[in-house]
Amino acid sequence: MISSTLYAAKRRSSTALVRDKKLHNLFLLPASQTRDKDALTEEGVASVINELRMYFDWVICDSPAGIERGATLAMRHADEAIIVSNPEVSSVRDCDRIIGLLDAKTKVAEDGGRMPKHLMITRYDTDRAKTGDMLATDDVVDILSVPLIGVVPESKDVLKASNVGLPVTLSDENSPPAKAYMEATRRLLGENIPVTIPEEKKSLFGKLFKGRAA
Amino acid sequence: MKFKGKSFIAIVLSPEQPFDAWFKEVDRIISRSPGFFIDRPIILDVRGTNIPIEDLEQLLDGLNERSIRVMGIDGVSGTRLKKGMPPSFGGGRLASDVAVSEPDTVGDKDNKEVLSADASAVASSETSLVNPKDGDVNGQSVNGHTSAKPDKETSDPVPMEEGASIVIPEPVRSGQSILHPDGDVTVIGSVSSGAEIIAGGSIHIYGALRGRALAGVAGKDNARIFCTKLDAELVSINGLYKVADDFDAALRNSPAQIRFENETLVFEELN
Repeated sequence: MISSTLYAAKRRSSTALVRDKKLHNLFLLPASQTRDKDALTEEGVASVINELRMYFDWVICDSPAGIERGATLAMRHADEAIIVSNPEVSSVRDCDRIIGLLDAKTKVAEDGGRMPKHLMITRYDTDRAKTGDMLATDDVVDILSVPLIGVVPESKDVLKASNVGLPVTLSDENSPPAKAYMEATRRLLGENIPVTIPEEKKSLFGKLFKGRAA
Repeated sequence: MKFKGKSFIAIVLSPEQPFDAWFKEVDRIISRSPGFFIDRPIILDVRGTNIPIEDLEQLLDGLNERSIRVMGIDGVSGTRLKKGMPPSFGGGRLASDVAVSEPDTVGDKDNKEVLSADASAVASSETSLVNPKDGDVNGQSVNGHTSAKPDKETSDPVPMEEGASIVIPEPVRSGQSILHPDGDVTVIGSVSSGAEIIAGGSIHIYGALRGRALAGVAGKDNARIFCTKLDAELVSINGLYKVADDFDAALRNSPAQIRFENETLVFEELN
């Protein structure tokens, strides 16, 4: 995940890059810890991204949540966008607005192109979607009309991994969210595999015990 | 050199004494709907008030403070206006000291007519979004023939063509607004909640209508709204509007058409 800062831009971004301890072909460019994101300028972001473009196959630019300036700057020089949404109405509506901006305010759009977009749904809870407390994946896809790249189930594994300081994909490869992320990655790389919608997976015993416990 | 024509729906503000109270009302509208006055042509109507020029200046300052940019003033002779004020407009007494040849002057009176017949169209529907009882904001369709600035909506991907219908080949997203006061609008895709379509003619939506659709704003009773899934926030034909709460629950989420008949909106399921 790479966020760029004016600070980084001043010091040549290559020296600001941090090599990941586990994956040796992954580099991180953190945002400045001492300045806020208002220190970013459009030219600064452009020069950092253009420099990174020369050295890396993939540059993933994490965008601050919401529809603020930070997000506009982050998306500005993208070639491709992944829209990450919770299955909640407010989140989906913000995403809708962001998709509108992706088609209007980005470099690709201004040059007359169309930005490829992917939709990633996170924190999906099958139970709540079933009872109607949460939007179902179909509803989200229907509202946003963007192809789905992955559905990550709500899981304690994510929080656990983040407390250990690891991405969930490294901390527990077999956990459902890790699998969902790996699947999404393969799809982003161009593989054509069907999206797994997380299902309630309860064993017979699980059902029996749940009944007892209640 | 050629002049192109362009149409706008303008909001007409009629200030009332005392201005303090009136500004409070304006502030209330802004706090309820912060984007209401942004990027919209606005005309200040002071007809019949005989307003002293100093008061007008204060009024304009007050509006400026609220980021409301007035494009023209109706009801004050151009000779009375001070330098830097918006031009006199629609009163038919534009002074000769405004150069007619200036292509960028929006107040280019010779080529401009104000169709006040359209006033009610957008007026009632627009106001209804703010406050149905509020008489302060009126709409007016302005048919201009100037090569005025690029048009209002940055995210509007489709250039407008006079008189013709337009086709939007993609979904209309939240926050976007498609304004086409001359003809029909067809959308291939959904109209999201928070988006709006304003058309002089009919509106056809091949997808879900979750936002606002205002058809027939140029005074057309025979305009209709069609959609394959009705889940709108507001629909309006020729100024007559209905909000989501007033819709027939049976039609929700089904294909529907809406038409204007005997001063009411008729909702019908499309089979």
